[in-house]
Amino acid sequence: MSNGAYFSCRNINAYYGESYIVQNVSFDIAEKEIVALLGRNGAGKTSTLRTIARAHEPSLKSGEIYLDGVALHEMRTYQAAQHGVQLVPEDRRIIPGITVEENLILAQTEGKPGWPLERIYQSFPRLAERRRQEATTMSGGEQQMLAVARALARDLKLLLLDEPYEGLAPVIVHEIEAILREVKKLGITTIIVEQNALAALKLADTAIILDTGEVVFRGTAQEVLDNKELRDQYLAI
Amino acid sequence: MSGSLINHVFLQILTGLQLGAIYVLIALGLTLIFGTLGVVNFAHGALFMLGAYFAVIIAGKFGFLTAIIAVPFLLFIIGIIMERGLIRFFYNRPHTDQILVTFGLAIVVQETLKWIFGANNIPFPLPRWGGGILKLHEWLPFLEGFVAYPKWRMILIFVSLVTVAALFALLQFTRFGLIVRAGMRDSEMLRFLGINITRRFAIVFGLGAMIAGIAGAFGGPVTQVDPEVGMAFLVPSFLVVVIGGMGSLPGAVLAGFMLGMAISFSAQYSAIQQIIIYLVAVIVLLVRPRGLLGQKGVMEE
Ligand SMILES: Nc1ncnc2c1ncn2[C@@H]1O[C@H](COP(=O)(O)OP(=O)(O)O)[C@@H](O)[C@H]1O
Ligand SMILES: [Mg+2]
Repeated sequence: MSNGAYFSCRNINAYYGESYIVQNVSFDIAEKEIVALLGRNGAGKTSTLRTIARAHEPSLKSGEIYLDGVALHEMRTYQAAQHGVQLVPEDRRIIPGITVEENLILAQTEGKPGWPLERIYQSFPRLAERRRQEATTMSGGEQQMLAVARALARDLKLLLLDEPYEGLAPVIVHEIEAILREVKKLGITTIIVEQNALAALKLADTAIILDTGEVVFRGTAQEVLDNKELRDQYLAI
Repeated sequence: MSGSLINHVFLQILTGLQLGAIYVLIALGLTLIFGTLGVVNFAHGALFMLGAYFAVIIAGKFGFLTAIIAVPFLLFIIGIIMERGLIRFFYNRPHTDQILVTFGLAIVVQETLKWIFGANNIPFPLPRWGGGILKLHEWLPFLEGFVAYPKWRMILIFVSLVTVAALFALLQFTRFGLIVRAGMRDSEMLRFLGINITRRFAIVFGLGAMIAGIAGAFGGPVTQVDPEVGMAFLVPSFLVVVIGGMGSLPGAVLAGFMLGMAISFSAQYSAIQQIIIYLVAVIVLLVRPRGLLGQKGVMEE
């Protein structure tokens, strides 16, 4: 049974083949809360997000995941997505060989749609200019915008952002940050994973720190910023 | 060029297209299934063969027009059943396992047909409207004197071109096609976008089987209809897929007609004709290891 939290994962264990990667991870998130999921490289952040999004790998062996009262752990990837989980994955995963607009249309083919294309183009004029362009020929920053826009094109209850600033020049990072601040105003429940922990903490209400696949800290974003020991030990910032 | 040379070359080209037509249709399904599902379907020749057998039986009972409507539909259903009932359990297995199971299935189909119909060729009479010859010189002024070609072979070329065009239109201009093309590039991302791509891919398998059925129904009258014909066409069709580039549809069309031409133009040198397709394959793969239009990353993970 769901414990009443808007989002909750309880004792989730996930494996890549034989390797045990997500180890007994549990946390709750309130509606509209923004959580920074932090930890070193290889701590298991991507794996945790993929487990929540019900990716095929790592495969969830035990544990429960609830979103808005519905059991995600019983769902397949596409069903979880239709229920409102939206992963914006590492490396953005813009689909090659098709246009910007086709990438957005694909996001609206199944399940409830979110923002209509007109609203997306209003908020992302750069994408409007390039709507007929092959999406993967855009710059990294523009592709990241498209990745976020593609999520907003869907009716989403939980946004999972995996390293949205990765590989982007500082100017572009500021642009994406501005977009994410706008997204925050919409009150979308979000988990953000970021190597750039300071940037993630600026946006987040709460921080969760992972180490070797386990939760080692949960507190407010401010607590992490104030606690040098914690940062030295797990984040190297 | 002298008139008789033009005539000769033109007829060789037609023969090349006609030989290529069946390879193209079988290879299209093979490469489509490989490009979407990542499965090397060695039972595809058997599907072509089933198409030919169904066509000859249905045509004998209900006429050829009924056969060309019923056979593609039947093969579509068989394709879906095959994918749901067997192939899907092998998606995450090595290609060698997939080849073993599909090859095994091909043998089962072959032996079953042999058991039911015997090992001999079943004569496949042409429908009345499809027999006879076309006097090409009456249509094409650049041909000299009397130039004729069997009408059925022209129909076969035409059907294969229409099928190719229809498949490309389906993939290029419909929502279904967009999903399938995108799924060929990144199926997991489509799942993250809420799309049940597995269902689309099952339909793709059905379409591949359906195209093999079309090849069987229209190709049957010019090939043999016997239990060996599936294997006989599987090997060259698989070569077509490899030469065209694994998973590339335009590549399969190009390579299929190219091989047809190679066979047609080497017809006077029977020693070469036996090995010409392998020769072409070796040359193409030496120059372009991914095939004519193959993309990076396919079968290279
Ligand atoms: N596909 C995979 N197969 C096997 N092990 C993997 C795979 N992906 C990641 N891992 C391992 O899982 C651990 C956690 O990785 P990941 O979740 O990507 O960490 P993070 O995102 O925090 O950097 C690492 O030790 C990594 O080597
Ligand atoms: Mg990661």
